[in-house]
Amino acid sequence: MPTRQRLKELMISELMLDMTADEIGDDTPLFGPAGIGLDSVDALQLVVMIEKHFGFKMADQDQAKRILQSVNTIAEALDQKAVA
Amino acid sequence: MSRSILITGANGALGLAIAECFLTRETDCHVFLGVRERRDRAAELATRFPGRADLITLEITSPEAWKAALAEIERQGATPGVLINNAGFHEDALLANMTQDQWSRVMDTNLNAVFHGCQAVLPAMMRERQGRIVNISSLSAISSPAGQTNYAAAKAGVVGLTQSLAKESARMGITVNAVCPGYIEGGLPADWTPEHVKALKMQLPMRRFAKPAEVAAAVFFLASAEASYITGSTLKIDGGLL
Repeated sequence: MPTRQRLKELMISELMLDMTADEIGDDTPLFGPAGIGLDSVDALQLVVMIEKHFGFKMADQDQAKRILQSVNTIAEALDQKAVA
Repeated sequence: MSRSILITGANGALGLAIAECFLTRETDCHVFLGVRERRDRAAELATRFPGRADLITLEITSPEAWKAALAEIERQGATPGVLINNAGFHEDALLANMTQDQWSRVMDTNLNAVFHGCQAVLPAMMRERQGRIVNISSLSAISSPAGQTNYAAAKAGVVGLTQSLAKESARMGITVNAVCPGYIEGGLPADWTPEHVKALKMQLPMRRFAKPAEVAAAVFFLASAEASYITGSTLKIDGGLL
């Protein structure tokens, strides 16, 4: 399964989102009223989820903030990790 | 799936009752009995349940000690799916006479230790997306008697911590609840005279103190699968006193 699709499906199941993967755009902001509307608890869960399912451990909160912008930014970070 | 249960203050009357409740009602669980210097009664309990209960040395006020205890539990191939923050003590004095040390010792053991314990077990619970934390607060958190500014503040802090952490962990399959016991048999100060105890019982609607097993049963329920939609709750167990 492509990384972006897997991320969306994991987010829906682990963050208990009442939506379908199709409703999450690759560039849709994850946080804030203009986007999906995730909160700080979701952010913590995303960090755990990404480490658990992709083996990618965030170095610090600044890195997490940069990466957890959208599905695209997460997928790009995972791709870079795969190349490195 | 069998669960591992970590109980602090496991050599005390309530800790022992909680441990025994898990060991007898959940026959495939493994219980880790957190103890410090005094461990005779916990050791006796462990011998009655061979292979199902282990003593673990845990200085609850030290984050390093929590890490070491968790590492020891993991070395045994387990991770705590249930944490019962039970250890506590009080050191009463009127605030006008209370020393800084009296304040700090009570806060360290009754409140800060709960923070350290929750922080220690949460990463594994978050990875597993399941967990149960039950914090033993006190009736003093709700109705605070004179002479317990330190203890009442610490136990009220435990209630606040419980409510906040419950919201933080609700979507991760982790529940966090508190119980507020009143007077418990076996947990009374040694310097209370029989006359004082008798007079106290006369003030209670049930005219008796709680048996440790009666409090333990509530803790067991809050840690059970059946209590999956209960989180952030504070249950007083006081025989109708308040």
